[in-house]
Amino acid sequence: MDDQTRDNLERRCPRLGSDIPFRYCMLSGEDDFPCGKILDCWWETFDVETYLKANLPESLFKGLVSPRPRDKVASLLKIVEQTKKRIGQ
Amino acid sequence: MNDRVIYLKPDEIPRQWYNILADIKMNPPLGPDGKPVTPDMLAPVFPMNLIEQEVSTQRWIDIPDEVLDVLSIWRPAPMVRAYNLERALDTPAKIYFKNEAVSPPGSHKPNTAVPQAYYNKVFGIKKITTETGAGQWGSALSFACSQFGLECKVFMVRISFDQKPYRKTMMAAWGGECIPSPSNLTKAGRDALEKNPDTPGTLGIAISEAIEAAVSDTTGQTRYSLGSVLNHVMLHQTIIGLEAKKQLAKIGVYPDVVIGCAGGGSNFAGLAFPFVYDKIHGKKVDIIPVEPAGCPTLTRGPFVYDFGDTAGYTPLLPMYSLGHDFVPPPVHAGGLRYHGMAPTVSQLVNEGLLEPRSITQRKAYEAGILVARTEGIIPAPETTHAIACAIDEALKAKAEGKEKTILFNWSGHGLLDLGAYEAFLSGKIKDIEMSDDQLNASEKVFSDYPKPQQLKSR
Repeated sequence: MDDQTRDNLERRCPRLGSDIPFRYCMLSGEDDFPCGKILDCWWETFDVETYLKANLPESLFKGLVSPRPRDKVASLLKIVEQTKKRIGQ
Repeated sequence: MNDRVIYLKPDEIPRQWYNILADIKMNPPLGPDGKPVTPDMLAPVFPMNLIEQEVSTQRWIDIPDEVLDVLSIWRPAPMVRAYNLERALDTPAKIYFKNEAVSPPGSHKPNTAVPQAYYNKVFGIKKITTETGAGQWGSALSFACSQFGLECKVFMVRISFDQKPYRKTMMAAWGGECIPSPSNLTKAGRDALEKNPDTPGTLGIAISEAIEAAVSDTTGQTRYSLGSVLNHVMLHQTIIGLEAKKQLAKIGVYPDVVIGCAGGGSNFAGLAFPFVYDKIHGKKVDIIPVEPAGCPTLTRGPFVYDFGDTAGYTPLLPMYSLGHDFVPPPVHAGGLRYHGMAPTVSQLVNEGLLEPRSITQRKAYEAGILVARTEGIIPAPETTHAIACAIDEALKAKAEGKEKTILFNWSGHGLLDLGAYEAFLSGKIKDIEMSDDQLNASEKVFSDYPKPQQLKSR
């Protein structure tokens, strides 16, 4: 599969509820990294694991295959702390 | 003609919510220092009256008249006997569902959006912020804020905002300001736009914008709102089960089985917790939270404390999880895709009061199609899991020749998520289930994690 074909593959994003292209998933995680659910969402469409392993730094790839569980409250408090730092409070 | 629908009169609406925290012992959420989270940690984002509800152990909490007045727009919600589904299954079981799809936004979500808006107003808050992906929670909160004259600012991920104009229109009709994220209104948004002016946005940026909009208001008149997981959200949703009990009592029925789909846990908790109260006090009833078979966070994951972030400095919350080595197989039911469940639901599973079940996604959509063609309502993708479980129970009753009474929660309609049905009807949705090897590997992840004390309430 060439890059353009792969980047333009589309599927319904379970978080956004609308169709999105694969290239969006590659940039929609934290700090413009791939979305944490990219393997979860795309593995039955093509061999996304091999693709990511070949194209991402090892630490980033490991972070994707071994994501830490997130809780909404914990995430929320983390964002509050980040926000306070960002706006200088 | 059969009496298909059981109504409550307006003055029969429950006047109090049921607080499960009065009847179960909970492992407290832990902070970065290993000590329990304190209310002040949540104060920048929530008004103190809601935080008080979050930590309250009072069993019955009065529902303010102002809240009841707004809820009365669609509540008491109908209880429906699914005669056509029963006939289609040729089952001796009696199947009832509580129809939460009749609310103005079409789901159970305004059951908590309305009291949250009210308590914010009482606390002196003028504006509520939130983020939304698909637009469901943003719609519910916009509706609720409109009822109490509050401003509502919803940060909606730009790619969804552009693709779903009817969602922002829905919010706008209720006076909600739906802003494509990233925006120029926050530093988080400006930073993202500076990096890439054409960015389609992400849910992470939208959450950061919503929280910044609340935290940075130096007048103190803005707060943030969350529609799932938290204790006070579960509390507000119990009006579903409390109404259901009254409705069934009117016809002299008590369910043998109570079923709800379980994502963050709120619609399940809403129907189930009042029946859990009965079960704790000796009633015989099976209570089943249902989730997709591909992601069995409740059904087979271990009960541990999870770190919420890689730095490990955010609070530890006891929850069911498959751990950070687990990559959930793909499913198409947005609201059900959490690693973690509401802590109260997790605790009840831990105590053996709930019997979690999982349903494959294909089976769930088949159930959705069957009820659409029998009962006439197209269910939300998440709701189809509860329906599939109810069908399983009805077929089991048929096989055993038992006249079982089954109750499930119809948490919302699917009219705003027809793309999921299109994928199913065109054969794009496949069944995925985890193997025992996958689960065992996942459980090993937790060998070094702190284990919560296994509290039992009885």
